[in-house]
Amino acid sequence: MDTIIDAHHVTKTYNPKTIPVVAVNSVHMHLERGEFTALVGPSGSGKTTLLNLIGGLDKPDTGSIMIHGTDITRLSANQLIDFRLRNIGFVFQAFNLIPVLSARENVELIMQLQGLPKNEINQRVETLFHQIGLEDKLDTRPAQLSGGQQQRVAVARALASRPQVVLADEPTANLDSKSAANLLDIMAKLNQEENMTFIFSTHDQRVIERARRVITLVDGKIFSDTAVVDTSLPHGISPA
Amino acid sequence: MAWRNIWRNKVRSVVIITSIALGLVAGIFIMGLYDGMLTDRLNTVIRQEVSHLQLHNPEFQKDYEAIYSIEHAMEIVELIRSEDYVKAVSARTIAHGMLATSTGSAGVQITGVQQDDEHLVSRLNDKLIEGEGLVGDRRNPIVIGKKLADKVKISLGSKLVLTFTDREYNIVSAAFRVTGIYQSANAPLDERNVYVQSADLNRLMLLEDACHEIAVLLNSDNELVVAQQKLSGRYPELMIENWQQLSPETKLMIETTDTYSIIFIGIIMLALMFGIINTMLMAILERTREIGMLVALGMNKLRLFLLVLWETVLLTLAGAPFGLILSWLVIMYFNQSGIDISSFSGAAMSGFGFSSLLYPEFPWLKIPLVLYIVGVTALLASLFPSYKALRLVPVEAMRQ
Repeated sequence: MDTIIDAHHVTKTYNPKTIPVVAVNSVHMHLERGEFTALVGPSGSGKTTLLNLIGGLDKPDTGSIMIHGTDITRLSANQLIDFRLRNIGFVFQAFNLIPVLSARENVELIMQLQGLPKNEINQRVETLFHQIGLEDKLDTRPAQLSGGQQQRVAVARALASRPQVVLADEPTANLDSKSAANLLDIMAKLNQEENMTFIFSTHDQRVIERARRVITLVDGKIFSDTAVVDTSLPHGISPA
Repeated sequence: MAWRNIWRNKVRSVVIITSIALGLVAGIFIMGLYDGMLTDRLNTVIRQEVSHLQLHNPEFQKDYEAIYSIEHAMEIVELIRSEDYVKAVSARTIAHGMLATSTGSAGVQITGVQQDDEHLVSRLNDKLIEGEGLVGDRRNPIVIGKKLADKVKISLGSKLVLTFTDREYNIVSAAFRVTGIYQSANAPLDERNVYVQSADLNRLMLLEDACHEIAVLLNSDNELVVAQQKLSGRYPELMIENWQQLSPETKLMIETTDTYSIIFIGIIMLALMFGIINTMLMAILERTREIGMLVALGMNKLRLFLLVLWETVLLTLAGAPFGLILSWLVIMYFNQSGIDISSFSGAAMSGFGFSSLLYPEFPWLKIPLVLYIVGVTALLASLFPSYKALRLVPVEAMRQ
């Protein structure tokens, strides 16, 4: 197996000098390539903080986080930006597409930041929009897209740079049931086709049901880590 | 992306772009006004006062003594007049002395001229507001400035006495009758300069065929250097000076006015800079979450800095074309109609040798400099908003 995430003794405390709040408390986590994992737990359990730490958006107070062999806790701020660009894809609850750019431009932006050649960008955009089923919305601005469509574009953006890990923070929270199911199908398919590692923080039972592994956090600690075995289906694909 | 970001808040961007355009209009209009004033002053200096070139005996300008004259002046005048680059030539005899009437006296420069020649060089006839000047058979006619006439309380037909020294240092007094009163744009000159016939003055100063000054008006301002070199080569015994040497205050005025107009534009742009900074700070504040997201996705600090800088530059430069076009239209309108400031500062302007009717000119040559100032303003204005954007921490920014 190919280890993608290896976190040891990861602790994060907010307000350490005033009223300390331990958001993540000595967490150990190990994920292999291609896993489709849900981080669950009540509000304030540390799901988003753990995602931010894995994504290199925040630094732990103690512990180490290895992403595909790189200890990101030792990287400088600039190195972390470059690391995120090439290794981490983010999907946010509020989509966070840039409103002045078209759907295509939103996805292209990441690859432009990577400095990919124009023809490669075009090919990748076409492939991704085909995968998310929005070929006819390439030049549409986010405001003209539905919530589900916007989140699909956000997924395409997250996958554009061919990251090692895709981190999705409550990706279905703002979607209706149909859009959420559709989005999960697409992500599961992409997980399968691109063999990328997906981690979701979620309260959404629909997401939890589709995950192949569910890690439950309570008070910043891993309460349970359950693998869902369903040999009849590829990763995360729901039964008809 | 930067250009599209500008138009997220159209009203705000239009307001700041309009401010920049109007600021430029104000600055360029002032520049144009200064340029028009200077062109007018330069024309007055060259075509009504000192001409392009003057020839003197090298000793004359030290003490203005009658003995330091140009001999065989008429012969020289005719030779110079025959040059193809010369438009007009006037020989002047000059004396410094006292003008006295029954009601007052004043120190004056007495300039002896042939009226027709002088008219071609300094538009003397056009300045006459009363009388016919030095024409006619009357003995010892004199033309005086209106300001001097008012000061010593004399009018057309009045008699006055001029006292000065001849070339043998004898004091000479002679009676003259006012046959013309002139008024130019230069009030101080009107107050101290009187014109008489050169024949009368030469006779009184015992100068015969000599004069003290030969004023040369060229066909074109561009021929100044060549003409000065040619005449200097031909008459090495004479001092030949151009208008810049004869009227250094005009040259200084042109140089300093250019500086003032640039400072004025700089002050306007400095004031506008705060407006631009404010606009960009609001834009950054509104997009805190988005900027945090961009950094999270992998936009490095240099790219983020360039994005904000480029937005600021585009926002600022967007106002420049409108400002330039509008200022051109405004200046062209007033270039045709003129701006009459005689009602509130005409006397003051005249006191400095400027016309009270101003014709602004579009300062084409200074436009690159104006654009440079606008560009620098944009760059400076972008620094603080860029700094604020760079200081955002992605996790905190995305929580907002």
